[in-house]
Amino acid sequence: MIPDWMKEDDNYVSPKDGGTFVIKTIKSLAHLMARIKVQKGHEKKRSMPVLLKLILTLLAILTIAISKESLSLMAIGAVLLLYLATWPGEDIASCLKGAVIAALFTALVMTPAMLMNPAGIRNNLSLVLRVFLSVTCLNIFNHTSQWNHISLAMRKLHIPRIFIFTLDMTLKYIVLLGNLIEDLLTSMSLRMVGKNTKKYGSLGGVMGVTFVRGNELNQMMYEAMQCRGFTGDYNQF
Amino acid sequence: MKLCSAGASLGTIISFSGVFMSIIELKDINFSYGPSEERVIKSLSLSIERGECILLEGPNGSGKSTLFRILNGLSLPDSGTYYFDSRLIDKKYLKSERDAKVFHKEIGYLFQNPDIMLFCASVYDEIGFGPRQMGLDDVEVDKRVRDLLKTFDIEKLADKAPYHLSGGQKKKIAFAAVMALNPKAYILDEPFAGLDRESCEMIGRLIKNLKLMGKTIIIASHDESDIGELADRRLNIVELMQD
Repeated sequence: MIPDWMKEDDNYVSPKDGGTFVIKTIKSLAHLMARIKVQKGHEKKRSMPVLLKLILTLLAILTIAISKESLSLMAIGAVLLLYLATWPGEDIASCLKGAVIAALFTALVMTPAMLMNPAGIRNNLSLVLRVFLSVTCLNIFNHTSQWNHISLAMRKLHIPRIFIFTLDMTLKYIVLLGNLIEDLLTSMSLRMVGKNTKKYGSLGGVMGVTFVRGNELNQMMYEAMQCRGFTGDYNQF
Repeated sequence: MKLCSAGASLGTIISFSGVFMSIIELKDINFSYGPSEERVIKSLSLSIERGECILLEGPNGSGKSTLFRILNGLSLPDSGTYYFDSRLIDKKYLKSERDAKVFHKEIGYLFQNPDIMLFCASVYDEIGFGPRQMGLDDVEVDKRVRDLLKTFDIEKLADKAPYHLSGGQKKKIAFAAVMALNPKAYILDEPFAGLDRESCEMIGRLIKNLKLMGKTIIIASHDESDIGELADRRLNIVELMQD
């Protein structure tokens, strides 16, 4: 029943592969999933209701967008940075990272305009600053609020249910499929005991399985909704 | 620390003097999923002899899967030491790509959910993935795959896509994929879950044969009737923890 080659241990020495892409992908995915699932942040420490935070964030973004004076933008920036200064260093870095990337991208897009019209540099730089401040506001809100609390706050603001439902489902599937990809890559890493000459083929397999699974989950959820009386209309309760 | 046999105690004592009797030696392991999280594994010590078959029991959420992750080097304990085949498995050891790969080749892990183990286009490729990684030539890879297809009685499935098969068939393919690496130790998380009676008996016979060949086997299972007389020791993870 048991093959002969299993009766003796393999005298195995692993060749050098040089690629740790799977491990790196697993680590970054795990980090992302942990953030979405647990939303490690300051919500426990900060007692401000999420609804109030949502309103303040929207107001801040609106003020940043319509503000004509660069002094007022700098004042908002100073307040945000002062608030961020009370956070641990790691959280500050993760919060500002996205804002800096968005600002740099905006600056890159604006570069031709700045070169062609040096007189408008001030306005262009003001736009970069607005992007930085807006994304920082959103990151602070995201970092200090859990998804389920954000959904509740949006309901209180009478945002259409279909929008909230779609957002909730999207987040749910990001977590479910993210976990599946993480698990697949983990099991793959356990069997990647040598030189993988078909790295992209293996990753393609993971993508394919994730697609099939996503499709199945989608179908199953629709059938489950039908079983509970769903007829295609999203009713207000 | 609770050691379950005199032999295990002797193994532990000898191991500290530098000579290892056990293939797996865990000493005072603590683990939590974050600095502010509760400890999942508390002061766990365990010694497993070469060729032993262990049945690990414990209620849901008691830390069995976490312990399996530690045994496979997927998670590192917050404190304590883990020796596998007389090698200290720690961050430094696993950081070495070659050492980590040899370690993963020597300890096979069958996940509870076979879906997460199957990512190749066909059953043949799935079972052949490990041997190909090892750099075996095509003839040897083919031999290993054909032998395992025959062992698990799934020869007809060789060209099928694993993802569209039944749960029981996926379980067999995942087990075959682990066996293809010919590991020294097997960690089997619920190997009988989702299998019909005939398949359970077949997997039971297979585990018995692996044990006779001197392979070390650790099984987590809720259904003791499936394990029968296979297990040399039955350990409860809750009792293994001191706190």
